[in-house]
Amino acid sequence: MVDFDPELINRIFETTEPVPVTREKIAKFCAAIGETNPLFTDDEAAKKGPYGGVIAPPSYATTFRNGRHFFQHVPRYGRAGMDAGKDVEIIAPIRPGDTISLSSAVKEIYDKTGRSGTMVFVVVRSTLRNQKNEIVAHIDHRFMNRP
Amino acid sequence: MATVLDLHAHSEASEDSRAPVEAYLNWIKMRRAQVPVDGVVLTEHRQWNGNADYRALEDKFGVRVLKAAEVETDYGHVLVFGVTDEMAQRFDFTNIHIPAQELIDEVARMGGIAVPCHPGRPNIGLYEHYVKKPVLENVIAVELLNGGSRKGENERAAELIAKHGYRATGGSDSHLVSLIGLCATRFEADIKDIEALVRELKTGNYEAVDFRPKRKPVPHAIPAEAS
Repeated sequence: MVDFDPELINRIFETTEPVPVTREKIAKFCAAIGETNPLFTDDEAAKKGPYGGVIAPPSYATTFRNGRHFFQHVPRYGRAGMDAGKDVEIIAPIRPGDTISLSSAVKEIYDKTGRSGTMVFVVVRSTLRNQKNEIVAHIDHRFMNRP
Repeated sequence: MATVLDLHAHSEASEDSRAPVEAYLNWIKMRRAQVPVDGVVLTEHRQWNGNADYRALEDKFGVRVLKAAEVETDYGHVLVFGVTDEMAQRFDFTNIHIPAQELIDEVARMGGIAVPCHPGRPNIGLYEHYVKKPVLENVIAVELLNGGSRKGENERAAELIAKHGYRATGGSDSHLVSLIGLCATRFEADIKDIEALVRELKTGNYEAVDFRPKRKPVPHAIPAEAS
């Protein structure tokens, strides 16, 4: 099994400055990805919807960036690696007027074998919170290392 | 009554699959003509998902769901059917270097069966390990048809089976909903639970079956000149 310091797990290594969410930003994001759902684009229609107003589309959660030094804190194993994908879990709507900050920690480290040999995976979880300190989303960044 | 089971599938409980069990069952229910399987065996990677209860989904979709595990050994990946709590305590399923011979013997002693999967696959298949290491004892069956195999891998599995006289199973190795049931195992017996599955894998009559759509030949971009 891969050797690592268990104290690394779930220890938050960075929290970003809050980033404001505006109605305009949501509109631009919707235009960029071709989103036409009135829950995200039409103020009048969204008012009558389940959220009482426009909210950001779920994929908007991926627009928030980690800090500049994020990769300095991601453990590395061996000589090479690659981004092995991301899982996004939406917990609560992101609304215009919110400010969102990310805090990141190593969630999991594990190894596995595949066609190409042994790989070590490091999963870093970024938790998105709004100005009320409510969790709005989790993003799990999965990095593969070749030991 | 015969039973057709996909013996190798990964749900979102495995870290590299995004397929919910409900979506698998719905897919099977909606496509019985293309995917004529009666059930699936969830073989999550390096874990025993013992507490998961799929009975409500079985009733909703009329598709059987059994649970097993895919573990990693010094001879490649192995499906373990009939996992017990004792077995999960005896072996650390997260260990990617479980001694295969010990696993096969201990699983059998505890009432289960260990079936090496995708044996023709580089690095994690039995075929390649047999070139460098002694042949494993007490192997009853290996996976002949794996839905995720690349060209040549299932052929190497067939070669291995012919050489060592193993019994042959089939499974989709699905990590995506649309791939479920494309390879499976047809049993002569009716199989309703994991005990029956283990019994049949050890002593019953079964064969690997292939439901993958046949690929159409690629047309020539430029028609061949008439000779």
